[in-house]
Amino acid sequence: MNNEALRIENLHLSYKGLAGTTFSKPSALAYFDKSSDMDKELICGANLVLNRGETLCIGGPSGQGKSALLRVIAGLARPSEGRLYYFGEHIPAERQTALEIAKRQVGLVFQNGALISNLRVRDNIALPLRYHKKGSPKEIEDKINMAMDLMRVRDCATMFPHQLSVGMQKRVAIARSWAMDPELLLMDEPTAGLDNYNRRNLLPLIDNMRILFKTSIIIITHDLMIAKELNCNLVFLYNKTLTEPHSFDYWQTADNAISRELFRDLRTSG
Amino acid sequence: MEQHLSKEEEKLTFCGNLFHKLGLFLMKRTLGQQVGLFVRAIASIFSESRSFKTDSRNIILQTFFTGVEIFPVLFVVATLFGAVVIVEIMTMMGKVGFSDVVGSLMVVVIIRELGPILTAFLIAGRSGSSLTTYVGGMVIDSEVDALATMGVDPIRYLVMPGLIGGTIATFIMTIIFSGSAIGAGYLVIKVLTVITGNVLNLQLTWDYLSTEILKAMTFTDFIFIVIKPLVFGCIITTNACYQAMNIPRDIRQVPKATGKSVIKSFFYIVCADVVLSLFYFLDYFNEISKII
Repeated sequence: MNNEALRIENLHLSYKGLAGTTFSKPSALAYFDKSSDMDKELICGANLVLNRGETLCIGGPSGQGKSALLRVIAGLARPSEGRLYYFGEHIPAERQTALEIAKRQVGLVFQNGALISNLRVRDNIALPLRYHKKGSPKEIEDKINMAMDLMRVRDCATMFPHQLSVGMQKRVAIARSWAMDPELLLMDEPTAGLDNYNRRNLLPLIDNMRILFKTSIIIITHDLMIAKELNCNLVFLYNKTLTEPHSFDYWQTADNAISRELFRDLRTSG
Repeated sequence: MEQHLSKEEEKLTFCGNLFHKLGLFLMKRTLGQQVGLFVRAIASIFSESRSFKTDSRNIILQTFFTGVEIFPVLFVVATLFGAVVIVEIMTMMGKVGFSDVVGSLMVVVIIRELGPILTAFLIAGRSGSSLTTYVGGMVIDSEVDALATMGVDPIRYLVMPGLIGGTIATFIMTIIFSGSAIGAGYLVIKVLTVITGNVLNLQLTWDYLSTEILKAMTFTDFIFIVIKPLVFGCIITTNACYQAMNIPRDIRQVPKATGKSVIKSFFYIVCADVVLSLFYFLDYFNEISKII
């Protein structure tokens, strides 16, 4: 069995590719923007390997295309060049759509949670399970309860997303993704907008998913301390490409432009 | 992508290639993409993830959303419109001595043409715009993307119930519109006649009105009572969802898309009405040729 959860080879992404491929035939429905800016490259020749059961944090300055990279991996944006392998299987560019990638047990937790606004918390978690008929109604019910317990959102099971705090919404979004048994979970800024208390509570939950269910996790974050707390490797999207993965300690002490720029505050604070 | 297409093209015959290129050409145009969206929404009914219980619930909710909320406005508009049309036709035809064509005119004006069109306009303005705003909001909030990343086809989950529910509601509302225009319109005239002391000297009874209308209705009318609202309903909902699904990630685009959805629906409805009316013209030509 291939031990790789994800392999990215020589990935290039332009703004045009980022414009949207929600549907299985993006050319039919994607938004066409004729401006010349759309041909500009956002990511240029990025490479990445993530093994099964590993967690990886991707950092970097704002506007470098971290979330865009995550959208490419999730199939929501189409690379202009490069190859993506999911669990050893190459997905050609014309089949690189979210619906196709979702079949490979890849989940995405959006920065804003992206919960379906007219569904209650319980129904939000149940939606993909019922849609894909993942078990009998009893099994689905058990799975929903387990996901809510794991993320500690059972108290708000009957609430609508707009009634929840940002932190709660994120936990529900993670519960929804977890319920689908993802083998690769992509998380966009999971700690953004959370206070220290919620942040401290969330990180062990994420780590538990890796330890208990061997889920491979990619976290896009500005909060570099996550890499230290989860004891995982850290790569940076810098100058339109991805760096080599290294530990938090390596980056903190390294003498290079990225470390000097991004770890300055962490170094001075000790 | 290019390589993939050229390989596909290589396998096709000359005619196949021609259709393939025509298909690609159409898919790059708005109308072609809308037809594509409609076909995919219909095809999604038969997907593996179908669930009779969930689907019927979603469709019923959408039917109520489209139909029930517009009912009060539609009923008032239909009643007043019906009353005006009945009075105009009765007085005008009475003056020129063509009282025997009253039924035919009522059928043409209310049942065949303006009834379905006005209902479609009202639904496009109220429910079509709501559907665009609702789905557009979901696009902006990444909810549509979230559905796709969970393997839930947004076309199946959002467009299909909107399309089926909206079309059923348009059909029901058109029947209600025509019924209200004639029935409630007649009652309004009767009340006005009593209040004003029959100033217009209308000799109108329900028996006369209903008999004349039923006498004037042809088999084609009964067919088009069903077909027209179904076509208009499909146009409104497909266009509303299409405009919403193509909103770029910018909240300012939602009102623009909503306006576009309504205006384009009006345009497509009128165009479709012209095309459907051609069948009536063919009917007339056949009758004329028989006489000649």
